[in-house]
Amino acid sequence: MSAVASSARATPAIGWRDVALAVAPLVLALVVAGIVLAVAGHNPLEVYWLLLKESFGGVKRIAATVAASTPLILTGLATAVAFRSGVFNVGVEGCVLVGGLAAAYVGFTFVGLPATLLLPFALGAAVIAGTLWMLVPALLKARLDVDEVVTTLMLNFIAVSLTAWLVNGPLLAPGSANSATPMVVEAARLPRLMPPSTLNAGFLIAIALLVLYWLWGRGTALGLETRLAGLNPRFAIASGINVPMLIIKMMLLSGAIGGLAGGIQALGTVNRFVVGFSPGYGFTGIAVALLGRGSAIGILLAALLFGALATSGATIQLFSDVPIEIVNILQGTVMIFAVARFGWLLKNRQGGK
Amino acid sequence: MSMAEFTPDTTIRLGAHSVTRRFGELVANDGITFRAHRGTIHAIVGGNGAGKSTLMRILQGMDRPDEGVVLVDGMPTVFFGPADAFEKGIGMVHQEFMLVPGLTLLENLVLAQEPLDGLRRIDRKKALDAARKLEREAGVTLDWDMPVDDAPVHVRQIVEILRLLYRGADVLILDEPTAVLAPAQVQELIVLLRKLRSEGRTILFISHKLDEVMALADEITVIRSGKVIGAMKTAETSKAALAEMMIGEILSRPNARPSPVGRTVLELRGLAAMDARRVLRLKELDLDIRAGEIVGIAGVAGNGQDELIAAVTGLGRIERGSVRLDGEDVTKLGLRARRERGLSYLSPDRAAEGLCLSAPISENLIAGRHRSAALCKAGVLQKGAIKRHVETLLDRFSVKRASAALPISSLSGGNQQRVAMARELDGNPKLLVACQPTRGVDIRGIAFIHQCLLDYREAGGAVLVISEELDELIALSDRIVVLYDGRVTGEVARGSAKVEELGRMMLGETRKEVAA
Repeated sequence: MSAVASSARATPAIGWRDVALAVAPLVLALVVAGIVLAVAGHNPLEVYWLLLKESFGGVKRIAATVAASTPLILTGLATAVAFRSGVFNVGVEGCVLVGGLAAAYVGFTFVGLPATLLLPFALGAAVIAGTLWMLVPALLKARLDVDEVVTTLMLNFIAVSLTAWLVNGPLLAPGSANSATPMVVEAARLPRLMPPSTLNAGFLIAIALLVLYWLWGRGTALGLETRLAGLNPRFAIASGINVPMLIIKMMLLSGAIGGLAGGIQALGTVNRFVVGFSPGYGFTGIAVALLGRGSAIGILLAALLFGALATSGATIQLFSDVPIEIVNILQGTVMIFAVARFGWLLKNRQGGK
Repeated sequence: MSMAEFTPDTTIRLGAHSVTRRFGELVANDGITFRAHRGTIHAIVGGNGAGKSTLMRILQGMDRPDEGVVLVDGMPTVFFGPADAFEKGIGMVHQEFMLVPGLTLLENLVLAQEPLDGLRRIDRKKALDAARKLEREAGVTLDWDMPVDDAPVHVRQIVEILRLLYRGADVLILDEPTAVLAPAQVQELIVLLRKLRSEGRTILFISHKLDEVMALADEITVIRSGKVIGAMKTAETSKAALAEMMIGEILSRPNARPSPVGRTVLELRGLAAMDARRVLRLKELDLDIRAGEIVGIAGVAGNGQDELIAAVTGLGRIERGSVRLDGEDVTKLGLRARRERGLSYLSPDRAAEGLCLSAPISENLIAGRHRSAALCKAGVLQKGAIKRHVETLLDRFSVKRASAALPISSLSGGNQQRVAMARELDGNPKLLVACQPTRGVDIRGIAFIHQCLLDYREAGGAVLVISEELDELIALSDRIVVLYDGRVTGEVARGSAKVEELGRMMLGETRKEVAA
C-alpha cells in the first residue's frame, strides 16, 4: 500500500458513524417526546413543525435562535476543553455567573472610558473572574487528586449565592428593588448585529473561538498533549507529559471561556447582572459538549439545537395550546440521551486512573 | 456444506471446520479446521497475528465465522454470544484475570452462582464444600478466605480455572496461561491441567511457548497467517519442527558480541520502596549499570520489580536510598525530568501505560518527543517533519501498517511493541529501562527486539531489563541479578547462567545454596 494513498484516506474525517452517534440522541428524544405529546393529546408532527417554524422560519427567527445559542456555544466549548484532557468540569455555570457579574461591574463602574477600552476591559474582567473561579478546583485536582466533579459542582452553588448577595447588597442598583445591578453604559455593550434581535458581536467571538479550538486541537503540541492525557493519563505521564500542569491549564482555560460566556451575555443581551442571570447555560453546555462529541462543528450544531429549542419554546405557547413544559420535556429528553454517552466518558476516565 | 454429509463424531468435544473470518481485506482465519478430542489437551500454536485470538473469540461465541462452522460434540453449532457457548460447557481463562478485587477467593469462586441459605444469604458452608470438591478434582489446596488482592498471580489463575469448573464448564480455553508464571509455577499449572484432563475435561491451550506446548499437549495444531500449517500428535513432532512451522524459517539467535563497558550510567544505593499498600517491597538494593552493558533482573513477579521500576523511572516514591543517572543525583526528580536527562522507559504494561491504544500510530511514536525542536516550533506541530520522522522510524523498525494515522490498536501486539521500542530508542537515551520487552510478542518479533537492545548496547547504551522470561534474560544480559523479597539473592555473569539455577534463586535460595 502506498504511503500517499493511505495517508489521504486516514485524515480525520467525520464518518457516518460519528454522524449517527450524534444524531441518534436527537431522534430518540423526538420519539420519546412524541409519545408524551401524543398522550397529552397533541399531534407530535404538528408540534415539531411548529417548533421548526418558530426557530428557523425566517430571518428574525433564525437570528433569535443564533442569539440564544451564543452562550451555549461558549459554555459547550468551555466544558469540552476540560473534557478533552479528561477533566469532568461541571462548574462552568459558576464561571458564567461570576464572569457576568464582573463584566457588568466594569460596565457600570468605569463609565468614563471610551468603548474601545471599556468593552475589552469588561470582557477581560469576565475572563479573569471565570479563570480565578476555577483556580481552586484546578489546584485541588492536580495536586491532591480531589475529585473535580464534587468541587466544581459545589462551587456553582457558592457562585449562585455569592452573586445573589452582591446584587442584593453592595452592587444593587440605586433605587431598585429587584435584585439587579445598574445597567451598563452604552460604551460597554456589544454591538447588535441585527437590531432589534439580541444577536450581537458575541456570536462572532464565539465562532472565532470555535475555529481557534479546531486549529488548536489539530495542530499544536498542547492540543496533542491534552488529547493523549484525556485518552490515557497513565500513558501521558509515562511519556513525560506534565499531566498535573496540563489539568491546571485546561481547567483555567475552561473557566476563562465560561467567564467570557457570562461577560458576553451581560454586555450583549442582558446589559446588567440580575439574579437568575443564567437559566443553566453552564449545565446545558455539558449536554452541548457531549452531544457535539467535543468537536468544534459538533458543538456548534448542538448549541444551535438547544438554542432553537429555547427560542421556539418561548413563543410556541403564544401561538398554540402547547404548553412550554412540553418543550422543556423535549429539551430534557435530548439532554438525557446526549448524556447517555456520559457512561462511556466516565469509563474512559476511570480506566485511565 | 449440508448437514447430511456430516457424521457427528462425538469424540470431538470442540473443533472448527473450515472457519474463515475476514476483517476488510485481512483474512484473520482462512479455512481453519481442527478437532480437540474429549479428555485431551489440545494446543493451538502460532505467532502474533497468526489468527489465534480471532479463532478464540469465535470458539467462545464472541464472534462468528464468515464461513465454516464451530463443532461442539461433533455437531456444527452456531453460538449466540459467549453465554450460549458457556451453556454448552465452554469456558475461557483470559490473559487478564477477571476476578473482583476486595472479595475473597471463595466469594470470587461462587460469584454469580452463590449457594444461598433460607434468608438468601450466601451459604458459606455449601460454598466451601463446593470449593473443597473442586480442590480435590484439581489436586490443589487454597486458602479460600484470602482476599484476591493478597493472592499471588498463580493462585488467582487457579481460582479462575476452578471458577469455570464450578459454573459447569468442561472445556477450558486458556490463552497464554503461563505468561505470568515463574518456572516452578508453570510446572504446577501443568500438573493441574493434567489432573483435569484425567477427570475427563478437555483443554484448549493457546501458546507460542514451545517448551510448554511440548510438555503439556496431546495434540497440536499450528497456525500461521490464518491458515493451519500442520496438525499432529505431540509425540510425533519436535520443538524445532514446530518452530519452523510457526515462523516458516529458522531464525538465527541474536548475537551478543563482547562490547567494552564505559562509565557508570545508573547507580542505585540503599534503595528501599513501598508498594501502594504501604508494604515494604524493595529492601536495601544496590545496583550499578555501565554504558555498553545490559543488566537483567530476574525474579518471580511481586518481589520488588515493580517498585524497582518505579524508583528508577521516577514514577514512584522511595523510602530511602539514592538514584544517580549519568553521575547526577536524580533521586528527587520525577519521570519527566529524568527523561530530559537521558532516561528511556519501555513500560511492562503496553495496553495501559506503554501506548495509547485509541490514538494514532504516529502520535504514539512521537508522544513525549513531540516538543523537540525538529517536530514543533513555537508550540505548533510541524506536520511535514513529523510525518517524515514517523515514516522513517516505522520503516527502520519494520512496523507493518496500512497508515500511521490509524489507531495503534489496529496493529498486532508485536508491531505495537516495535512502535514502543522505536519511540524509546529514538533520541539517543543514556539508559533504557526495558520492562517485559517481548511480552506477547512472537518469535520473529522477539528476535528483532533483542537485536535492537543488543545494537543499542553496542552503541554504548545502558539497559536495565526486567523480564519474566528467563531465556530472554540469559540471551540478553551481561549480568543477571536475581531479586527475591526485595533483595538481591544472586548475580550471574553472561555465559554462566542456567535456567534451573536461576529458578531456584528466584524462589529464595542464595547463589551459594544453589551451587552446593
